[in-house]
Amino acid sequence: MIVFLAFLVYPILEGMRLSLYQINYDSEKFVGLANYTTLFNDPVFFKAIFNTIIFVVFIVLLTVGFALFVASAVFDKNAKYVSFIRGSYYIPVMVSMVVMSMVWSFLLNPANGLISFIYKDMGLGTINLLGNPKTVLPVVIFVTFATNVGQAIILYIASMIGVSKELFEAAEIDGASRWQVISKILIPSVGPTTTYITIINIIAVLKIFVVIQLLTGGGPNNSSVTLMYYLYNNAFKYNQLGVASAVGVIMFVITLLLSVPQLRSMIKVK
Amino acid sequence: MSKIRNKKKREKFDVISNVIIVLFALLNLFPLYWLFTSSLKNSSDVVKMPPDWWPKSITFSNYVDVFQNQPALRWTFNSIYVSGVSTIIVIVVGAMAAYAFSKINFKGKDIIFIIFISSLMIPKEIMIVPLFRITQQFGMVNSYNGMIWPNVAGAFGVFLLKGFFDLTPNALREAGRIDGANEWRIFTRIMVPIIKPGIGALFILNFVQVWNDYLWQLVIGQENKMKTLMVGTATLMQDLNPNFAYKMAGATIAAIPMLLVFMLFQRFFTNGITAGAVKE
Repeated sequence: MIVFLAFLVYPILEGMRLSLYQINYDSEKFVGLANYTTLFNDPVFFKAIFNTIIFVVFIVLLTVGFALFVASAVFDKNAKYVSFIRGSYYIPVMVSMVVMSMVWSFLLNPANGLISFIYKDMGLGTINLLGNPKTVLPVVIFVTFATNVGQAIILYIASMIGVSKELFEAAEIDGASRWQVISKILIPSVGPTTTYITIINIIAVLKIFVVIQLLTGGGPNNSSVTLMYYLYNNAFKYNQLGVASAVGVIMFVITLLLSVPQLRSMIKVK
Repeated sequence: MSKIRNKKKREKFDVISNVIIVLFALLNLFPLYWLFTSSLKNSSDVVKMPPDWWPKSITFSNYVDVFQNQPALRWTFNSIYVSGVSTIIVIVVGAMAAYAFSKINFKGKDIIFIIFISSLMIPKEIMIVPLFRITQQFGMVNSYNGMIWPNVAGAFGVFLLKGFFDLTPNALREAGRIDGANEWRIFTRIMVPIIKPGIGALFILNFVQVWNDYLWQLVIGQENKMKTLMVGTATLMQDLNPNFAYKMAGATIAAIPMLLVFMLFQRFFTNGITAGAVKE
């Protein structure tokens, strides 16, 4: 309980306080809302917000859509096949974003990466997906999505296995096609799981960091900066702890608002 | 007649989607295949164009290099120690708190539980600045304490284990009480053994989570010898050494333990991830 208070509740309050101060190594000076003003005058901050929103929207849509597709196609197949699918999509989640970012960075390397080679081999010339502001966002979206979709698939499969068998039998008697079964019975039945997956994924994408640091470094020319990366740079590179705290407070408010519906349902179930 | 056609269409739709799914699964695993095979190539083969799809001559020299040039053994120890100790604390504290929330009535219980649950939704990453300053004030930078304690504060363990305790029948407690056992004895001798699957799931999920944690360990372990495997490996990425085989060897060292854990305990993952999230 003390640990919980010291490392969880107190930091939130402390973060709010720090966001109103200018902090140098040892001294703190109260500056009111100046840190927030600084933020709102920094184009990179808006770039970070914009990119974060793009990431959230696309990664969450892809994850929910694809996980629903995979789970609804495999949930009623035999157990060995289900666990093969579960396993092969979950392994990248297991080995972590750090490792996956390193491999992707090698694969995408313009000089000697496999993807660049294949592209050249097909006669399409040289390609530098991470060095181009137009392609860097889609690449990060794809890598993050492909690495993390396994978790959503596991949740969906478990929740679909729990759907009452009688519903499917009734549908079969009525001669419903598989597509009808999926869209009319399966997807509505797993509604709560969809809400849960959506919210935990929004929050997970909000704090996206590793892939940015290791794959793009926020570049080229800040075109892939995210809020979390911006926060980190301000805090630990530019030593702007006050500004970084302000970013943290803004992200805290966003997360809190997002998590209200989920919390409500969790509390109700209890 | 129409039913037969329907069935055919249904199967076609099913077959196509399953083919796509399997192909995408294999595509998804390919980067890992590339990681392993690259780490076994020598430094000139790894950047060869066209690439060798399978290493022509297998060498372990990249691994030797990582262990010789970097304190990779120390990083591995740090990872095991930090993940292990954090997880044990999470389980002991989590089990006691979860038992209290599940079975014992006390004042303010609901409010405290709601605050606990709310904290599940707030990623500690966004509080990294105040968190860092607090650990700094405690003098915990570059220490195992600093690497462990902030990981322990979190309600996930309590939440997961409470779900398991809620499923245990109250009759067992009453039976224990009739036999003259006090609350502590009931907890340790009757309840904890029943929720062993929950503890197993929590152990693995938490261990993996701390093992794979990056941002906090990056900030708190600044000395090279205090880095965890994840952070240490990632520094290889920014290394000026252009040899990708060497970097891939580092990444493989960080990945292999998790792969082993997954293969041995797949069941626990599915149980743990779905407990609390999926309601029927």
